[in-house]
Amino acid sequence: MSYYDIDSILTQSEKIPCTFQLDIPDLGYLDNTPTQPLKAGTKVNLPLWLAEMLVIANSGDAEGKSFVTFDLPPALGNDVVQALKADPRAVPLRDQSPHFYGLGTHMMDLSEEQEMAAVLRKTFVTRAAEVALHARKVGGVGHRGKGPEEGSNLGIGGAGEEFLRGLDEWERKLFRKAHDGAKSGKEWMEGVKKH
Amino acid sequence: MALPLPPGLTHPEVAFLAEMELVTVVPRQRLEPIDLLGGKTPPLRPPHRTDLPLWLALLLKKQRRANILPPPWLHPASLADIIHRETKVTPEAFSEPPPAPARADVSQPGRARRQGVDQEGDDGGIIMSAPFRPACTADAPAGYLPYHWQEVAEALLAHAGDDVTAGTAGATVSSAGEVRGLIRDLVEVRAAKMRSSTAQLEGFGAGLMSLRGVGAMELAESRGFVLGVVDGVRRIGASVEGARREAEEEREGEESDEDMGI
Repeated sequence: MSYYDIDSILTQSEKIPCTFQLDIPDLGYLDNTPTQPLKAGTKVNLPLWLAEMLVIANSGDAEGKSFVTFDLPPALGNDVVQALKADPRAVPLRDQSPHFYGLGTHMMDLSEEQEMAAVLRKTFVTRAAEVALHARKVGGVGHRGKGPEEGSNLGIGGAGEEFLRGLDEWERKLFRKAHDGAKSGKEWMEGVKKH
Repeated sequence: MALPLPPGLTHPEVAFLAEMELVTVVPRQRLEPIDLLGGKTPPLRPPHRTDLPLWLALLLKKQRRANILPPPWLHPASLADIIHRETKVTPEAFSEPPPAPARADVSQPGRARRQGVDQEGDDGGIIMSAPFRPACTADAPAGYLPYHWQEVAEALLAHAGDDVTAGTAGATVSSAGEVRGLIRDLVEVRAAKMRSSTAQLEGFGAGLMSLRGVGAMELAESRGFVLGVVDGVRRIGASVEGARREAEEEREGEESDEDMGI
């Protein structure tokens, strides 16, 4: 990932709920109380880049007592994971976080949750097939066959549009790639007859 | 600035490469051999059939100097058979690429052997692949889609539609419309298959996607999408994979320690 990758930067600024286990002087401004020390047990939403640093710095502690613990952000909370297990296609990921998968991979780096990886992978793959389907339909590509599956109107109207609005950034890129492919294919098909 | 083109060949490039495929023509006029970079073209003597590159065949066709014999796999019956195989017989795989041409074996009478396949002994096992194996001539096997099937079919339908006939040699019934419809169906079926093939990446360790038998044009169309999916799955699995690899290395380290102890 490039240093100037804007998606990476935006992913890094997603907020993670962290709990401080110790009193820390001069950090009160994180909790909007600049004159007080930061109390033990305070919950603060920290951006991912800061939380990551604190957690990494933490792990080297000789006593094994960490001064900050973090929870999963609500975008990757239990509700969302259960919903994804039930039907990946029904969850608008963009409402959870515009950088859902980026956030997910970062959190897995920190906490190594096997189950999360499996759920995310299944979600991504299932939704990718759906994304490709929509990418082909949008703009009138396809829709000329006579097969049984061409009768669906997934790309047009309600359900399709709602699904496309719920794509996160990774899926939007995928959509663009799939759509570019289908579009240049269509352009070539039209060009064959001309010359 | 980075090159704005995505990796891989674009559609026009693939179509250009497909023009190198040999097709069979029935000339209407005599034509002496033309000296080209790739060697001389065979002389045209009507009514003898000759294999010419697609670009030259199309040029002669447009000038009404030759008729193109469509390859056997472009026959409606062959296409219908392929669609049947794609949808009913093996719905989860693409239909197979054409087999290597067979030739009678001189040393063992009564047996044919595949040409171009690696075999022990003779001629060093040259493996012939798409552009050097005539897959679009009148001698090509029916029922198999060659690498450049979509490009060749589209070009023939667009410029030599009246030559695409339902009968064998010399039939008069043009079936361009039927063939066109079948090709459309085939494109749709295979595109749907390409989309669903990414679903095989779902489970860990099952990340295998067989793209055997996929044509050049389909690759050009789906390359961005398929690479995107594979890359996304890789990134999601990166941390788990890293942890697994570390654990494996540790285990190997322990085992080697035990070996040392023994």
